[in-house]
Amino acid sequence: MTTLAKHTRSAPPQSEAPAPRGGHRRLGDLKIALLFIAPAMIGFVFFYVVPTIRGVYLSFTEYNILGDPEWIGMDNYTAIAKDPLFWNSLAVTGQYVFLNIVLQTALALGLALLMHQVAKSTLIRGALLLPYLMSNVIAALLWFWMLDYQIGVVNQFIEWAGLSRVAFFGSEEWAIPTQAVINTWRHMGYTALLIFAGLQAIPGHVYEVAKLDGASPFQTFRKITIPLLRPVLVLVLVVTVIGSFQVFDTVAVTTQGGPVNATRVIQYYIYQRAFTESDFGYGSAIAVILFLILALVAFIQMKFLKGNESDLD
Amino acid sequence: MTTTTSRAPLPAPTRRRRPFNPRRAGAWALLVLAIAVSVLPFLWVLRTALSTNAALASNSASLLPAEFTFGAFMRVFGLQSPADAVAEGGSGAAIDFWLYLRNSIVFSSITTAGAVFFSSMAAYAFARLRWRGRNAVFSLFLGTMLVPPIFTALPNFLLIKNLDLLNTMLGMVLPYVFMTPFAIFFLRQFFLNMSREVEEAAMLDGAKHLRIFFQIVLPNAAAPIATLALLTFIGQWNEYFWPLLVGSQDDVRVLQVGLGVFKSQSPQGAPDWSGLMAATLVSALPVLILFAAFGKKIVNSIGFSGIK
Amino acid sequence: MKKTLGAVAVATAVALSLSACGGSSSSAESAKGEISYWLWDANQLPAYQQCADDFTKANPDITVKITQRGWDDYWSTLTNGFVGGTAPDVFTNHLGRYGELAENNQLLAIDDAVEKDNVDLSAYNEGLAELWVGQDGKRYGLPKDWDTIGLFYNKAMLASAGVTEDQMKDLTWNPEDGGSYEKVIAHLTVDKNGKRGDEAGFDKNNVAVYGLGLNGGGDSSGQTEWSYLTNTTGWSHTDKNPWGTQYNYDDPKFQESMEWFAGLANKGYMPKLETTVGASMADTFAAGKSAINAHGSWMTGQYTGYQGIEVGIAPTPVGPEGERASMFNGLADSIWAGTKKKDASIKWVEYLASADCQDVVASKAVVFPALKSSSDKAAEAFKAKGVDVTAFTEHVKNKTTFLYPITDNTAKVKGIMEPAMDAVVSGKAPASSLTQANEQVNALFK
Repeated sequence: MTTLAKHTRSAPPQSEAPAPRGGHRRLGDLKIALLFIAPAMIGFVFFYVVPTIRGVYLSFTEYNILGDPEWIGMDNYTAIAKDPLFWNSLAVTGQYVFLNIVLQTALALGLALLMHQVAKSTLIRGALLLPYLMSNVIAALLWFWMLDYQIGVVNQFIEWAGLSRVAFFGSEEWAIPTQAVINTWRHMGYTALLIFAGLQAIPGHVYEVAKLDGASPFQTFRKITIPLLRPVLVLVLVVTVIGSFQVFDTVAVTTQGGPVNATRVIQYYIYQRAFTESDFGYGSAIAVILFLILALVAFIQMKFLKGNESDLD
Repeated sequence: MTTTTSRAPLPAPTRRRRPFNPRRAGAWALLVLAIAVSVLPFLWVLRTALSTNAALASNSASLLPAEFTFGAFMRVFGLQSPADAVAEGGSGAAIDFWLYLRNSIVFSSITTAGAVFFSSMAAYAFARLRWRGRNAVFSLFLGTMLVPPIFTALPNFLLIKNLDLLNTMLGMVLPYVFMTPFAIFFLRQFFLNMSREVEEAAMLDGAKHLRIFFQIVLPNAAAPIATLALLTFIGQWNEYFWPLLVGSQDDVRVLQVGLGVFKSQSPQGAPDWSGLMAATLVSALPVLILFAAFGKKIVNSIGFSGIK
Repeated sequence: MKKTLGAVAVATAVALSLSACGGSSSSAESAKGEISYWLWDANQLPAYQQCADDFTKANPDITVKITQRGWDDYWSTLTNGFVGGTAPDVFTNHLGRYGELAENNQLLAIDDAVEKDNVDLSAYNEGLAELWVGQDGKRYGLPKDWDTIGLFYNKAMLASAGVTEDQMKDLTWNPEDGGSYEKVIAHLTVDKNGKRGDEAGFDKNNVAVYGLGLNGGGDSSGQTEWSYLTNTTGWSHTDKNPWGTQYNYDDPKFQESMEWFAGLANKGYMPKLETTVGASMADTFAAGKSAINAHGSWMTGQYTGYQGIEVGIAPTPVGPEGERASMFNGLADSIWAGTKKKDASIKWVEYLASADCQDVVASKAVVFPALKSSSDKAAEAFKAKGVDVTAFTEHVKNKTTFLYPITDNTAKVKGIMEPAMDAVVSGKAPASSLTQANEQVNALFK
């Protein structure tokens, strides 16, 4: 094992797949590669590609799931463009994503730094990871129970503190932040561990040099930690952003889109149209739009944050 | 597994015991706060689980269990008669705990084993083999992370139905067992950073890829694979909608779906909070045990390979 | 990661795709064996289990496997069953759902059997049997039980406010000043300093006990929330019922009533809508946060089961036209069109609808069976348990009920009305905003 580690360290991290730049090997593992990816390919084709294509097709149809889908061209899309609830769902989702990302990344980064510099104890890391062991649905129900306006324990504490109770799920101002906080609670420890692992990969001598140069802790953080951590942060960001756009479980078991339309996030709106109101074509069309948005977001993130490059060299 | 630790730098040289440092104290305070926020809700789960459901609402200001009872736990294990359950304000619904537990274990284990193994094969092909179109195919695989799950649920359901596999374990397992995009991504990243030297030496000896993969690559990747397996297992254990969709019948119902009996039984009714919380604890127990057993290694290595 | 989010109950909609594969096999085959039966209320499970046992005793070659599934998962799982071909032979059906199911050919019409077996439809409480005749004139279920609305009140709170239980029985209401109903609600409201809602110096922003509890905005039907008031003014949800094609949320009479209703929260007599998202209204009642809750008869067990609280039940108030009003909702047992045990299923449904089974249900004092004779027995059984349920039965006796609105597009109507009603009840929008929502709703029927 140690040999492996040594090797790994001696070789500069290869961020890109070793593209055929050397060409010193025959470029022809195709057969064996096919063998290796065959099982994954089955899953990919049958449970991702085919259903996606079917979904895209359905987005051009009127399909109430009875009978056959009927081709209606762009009608669903033109209706969506004029649908105030669709635009509302975009705005609400955007708000949620923003809050969730800021909260989760900031808290996780802070925690990771604390773990790295203060306490490397496994027990502490384990404790922080506890919420992640709970399912989304259960976590949402638990907080629904604890944050209840009338009989929730959190509001009881708020009252004991001499403040007035807060309608966490019921008020339009609080509903989305509450959802964001719940999901942050569940994922915070996990994300912190990812970042923590990244911190550990930064060689100690870099810090020593900085120290010798008389850098303040803040300067060190800004000039060394953040740049060297960038690949990790980008990965974390890409994954959490995509995850946040797909928020659904917590909304479905708590506010169900309300109050009024304050938490009618895009996935929930898709669910409502496609499944509750039996308009599967319309729901599929919104899903296609969501997919395009996600692809665009991921692309932009990768381009601008240059997640593929490390600054370690 | 020294892999991880040896990768990590030596302890930062600044770490030395000092008498009292306000910044350190502040840092500790923050850490303790974070731990409290993570752990305290679990105490509330326990408190609620040990309460009599019918007494919960009127004792909302008490931090101790309301009318202490093990009734909720007995409901979870199916040891309480419906009449007693209703008398405590709980759900009188039947729950076949051990059957659901078994189903959960089978479902999570099969999907985890399959997904991790097949994904590691694919990841190896993406990281170590050279073939035309490799990067394009990899991007496509990654792209599946962007497909909203809600979008594929219906077509997948119809597919399973066409295969006549509704309410079978096979039907529940199929969409997950071949791969997950995250697993492939995670392991590929690790394989990319593994030393080529050992492999190439073996190659010179005339070893075939299959042998290299099984005898060199897999053993060397044991730590990240274990991490990935645990993460996947947790995810699968908590999976709700797909099993609800495809495996709602008793003989294949998993715990997460079974917990539904503690939710509201009638329109506008109230959930059996005590039962739900007891069930939450009990159903999280297997994962907790796994975590306690392997957690140390995993916590130590979590994520690092996905990140390099 | 958060990936798996909502794979979602493909449910609802899906279902229906499976065309009715109705045709039964040879009748000998379809008249015996095991049939499956679903219901949602766990509290009723023991009663129906007994019915099933009795049924098998009388028909030794048929057994019934009962599956109980909580309301939250019931419909999605059922719809999956329709699509996947794994639906139960017989299941408990709801008025809000059956129109869609019938239209999509998921339900078996049972007219022939009902005629052949001489099921006496007049033995059911009035109106219940007719509810289950679809738009096509065919019968899709036999009545099982019914519910109406009443006022659950906290006896201790009434006593300390000096409100007598007789007073509760004679409440009146009108949309202008709320009548004696509002006066009682105001008087039962207590703020943090102990001042009552009708006293000077009442602090409406710091209320300890609300006179009236709130369940939610009520979406399209307002079943327990406001329909017991709005429908005393002569207003009704639709142009006709069942199978109306025009909703009436634009009626000034209705909007005036809603304006009054929303005003209660503003006056501090009823919780603000935003504070009701979370724990159920019944639980907050048990927590002593409200003195009166308007709720359905099926909640009786829940209310009387709370520890340390004495609960009474009063009839809903008399409205401006001199009558009380309560939504009358009826459940029925329906047969899935795809059943392979058609004859056995019909037998079971007829048994469920017979006095033999409904008396058993009545004896458990959980709900009111559909048969008149069994309803009376249920009332007695409740009485034996110390619960006076005349508030619910009175509506039926005095014919002050109106039917749950049955139309097409109920899911879409609900989708539109839910946010619209929430906006009104929370005071974010005036009741006149419902006119626009109503236009959207009625556009669905064009």
